[in-house]
Amino acid sequence: MSLPDRIDPRPPRRIYRWDLDKTYLQTEFDSLRDLVRTAFQKAHQKVAVPGASALIRELSENGDSRLCIVSGSPKQMRAVLEEKLKLDGVRWDEFVLKDNVGNLLRGRFRALRGQVGYKLPAILESRVHAPVEAEEVLFGDDAEADAFIYSLFADLVAGRVDERVLSQVLEAGGVYPDDALRVREAWKKIPVGDPVRRIFIHLDRLTPPAHFTPYGPRVVPIFNYFQAALVLLADGHLTAPQVLKIAVEMVQTAGHNIITLSNSFQDLLRRGLPLQQAAVALSQALEGPNKLLAAMRPMPDILAAFSKRLAALGTPPPPPPVQAVDYVSLIHHALPRNHKGRTKPQ
Amino acid sequence: MEDMVGTQPQPVTIAFDVMGTDHGPAEVVRGAAMLSLESPHIHTLLVGDRTLIDDALAETKHNGERISVQHAADFIGMDEKPGEALARKPNASVAVAARLVAEGEAQALVSAGNTGAGVLACARHFQLIPGVRRAALATVYPTRSVRGAKGDPFSLILDVGATVEATADDLVTFAVMGSAYARIISQNERPKVALLSNGIEPQKGPPRVVEAHARLSEMKDIHFIGNVEGIDIPKGTADVIVTDGFVGNVCLKMLEGVHDTVVELAQYAYKESLRWRAGLAMLSSGIQRIKDITDWNQYGGAPILGFDKIFIKAHGRSKSRAIANAGKVAAKVVSNNLGAAIREGLKK
Repeated sequence: MSLPDRIDPRPPRRIYRWDLDKTYLQTEFDSLRDLVRTAFQKAHQKVAVPGASALIRELSENGDSRLCIVSGSPKQMRAVLEEKLKLDGVRWDEFVLKDNVGNLLRGRFRALRGQVGYKLPAILESRVHAPVEAEEVLFGDDAEADAFIYSLFADLVAGRVDERVLSQVLEAGGVYPDDALRVREAWKKIPVGDPVRRIFIHLDRLTPPAHFTPYGPRVVPIFNYFQAALVLLADGHLTAPQVLKIAVEMVQTAGHNIITLSNSFQDLLRRGLPLQQAAVALSQALEGPNKLLAAMRPMPDILAAFSKRLAALGTPPPPPPVQAVDYVSLIHHALPRNHKGRTKPQ
Repeated sequence: MEDMVGTQPQPVTIAFDVMGTDHGPAEVVRGAAMLSLESPHIHTLLVGDRTLIDDALAETKHNGERISVQHAADFIGMDEKPGEALARKPNASVAVAARLVAEGEAQALVSAGNTGAGVLACARHFQLIPGVRRAALATVYPTRSVRGAKGDPFSLILDVGATVEATADDLVTFAVMGSAYARIISQNERPKVALLSNGIEPQKGPPRVVEAHARLSEMKDIHFIGNVEGIDIPKGTADVIVTDGFVGNVCLKMLEGVHDTVVELAQYAYKESLRWRAGLAMLSSGIQRIKDITDWNQYGGAPILGFDKIFIKAHGRSKSRAIANAGKVAAKVVSNNLGAAIREGLKK
């Protein structure tokens, strides 16, 4: 268990948990060459996913939250990763990295690529120290098992998963006994509650959104962080001007434009997310005098683009149904990509 | 089809009529999804039943930043009469898509649905380019020779059905439009243009063809090579073959019939004799190569020329690859401003 990197005297009302690679950073590690290049990159050479740092900064602006990072990157990269976060103006409270050298030396080869046995105990142990009432929003990606692990974490804390299912998952996930023990011990210490509000999955690999349907509406696959900001606006975590700041950064640094942003907005509407009120709030914010928003002008075009995307759909689609997650049948989502059991059973 | 080369291409939005195709809406959605992954500057506006589109999109790898949806409750089937169907269904997907293009929500329309309904929807919502009296439906046909910087193995034939009785004026206009299109799509700087007739001599053919021949011969900006006969179409003697919609349609159907007959004969031979089967097996890689080169899926679709907006008609049997390529053709035509090229050609 890592100690918090920053001590904040105030108890947090909200906890934002982030993965790094492919969630916050644009990282390639599909080949050995990519891995080597990533390992030797300097902080200024690392590139954040457009809008990610702006989103983190805006979420922390509210002053009542904690940023907890759990990354699968090796501990040896801590210095360069911390430098990168500082360059981006990101302040964190916890920063957990994987002890891959330790795993290697101890011959724990499954743990090198396994995700469940690493992330699940890490975030459960972090939750042990959180106030019961603190809400959580988690950010991951579609490259590994984030949707599975984050959902399992949420349902364990909420008491929706029993010991039998947990045992089956830990066994099928190839979790080493000591990590399984850490999971159980941390789980027992956490008071039952339902703190996880959203799980955002950045579609780095452009996995079809339906892949995440079995996890229910709590998991929101996103093509970009403007989409996350819109949902967080609707959920009350951000204000409309804050969302616009994130959009401005994406327009200015990543080539986004009215079309990509309004398409992103409509994409969420089509998936049943109730964003109509968020759209109204954004429109009102755009009409305000904020000079920063001048970058988003011409305002009538933006308003028209969003209104048209809204009107194009006719009646709003129903929200996706809430359902219990069948973790045992989804275990193949949690295995490393080249694992023989990763293929979905017929 | 290649994307624009050189500097970053300007964003282009292409409206896709998702409904009414032989393979169903999911195939068009998959084509648009493919386009969203392959061509960052092309945005797609999918017009059709929102639920069907969303269901297909959710299951398909795509980039949601480059796709939007416009719900349209109705659609026109392949076997419906275009005029009647459009009157009964003003909110049919093809009509809604054409309207959105006319209003500037997208710069071009791609449809693999009912051809007549597509042409009629465009006629109702688009404007004819000044100097164009009638639009022309073009198609591509595989030829022996290749053309242009891309080594395009297709020639362009127009009109194949939009204007049944064309005047000499219309034929000259078709030649200008076809030439401009070939320049842009085949990257063929000086496409060879010919009139389809019953002999290569200038005086051969009906009066309108003879008159068009005389006028085209005097146009310096058109590389007019005179008349060609039906036999010259598959030879690839000309890059652009101009005719009226009646002859063009008969000709096209006959060429398709010949193709089908050849395939049937090959299948017959395959079954009938072991020796023939062995011969076909030996030729199979060559046959496949020819098939690949002349695969219309690679070309994507053919244009309706003459309107101020672009309409690319994809084949009703188009699969996702052909749909994506039709989108790329449409984007290329928009980016190269075909309308301006035609207007310029008609002034001369």
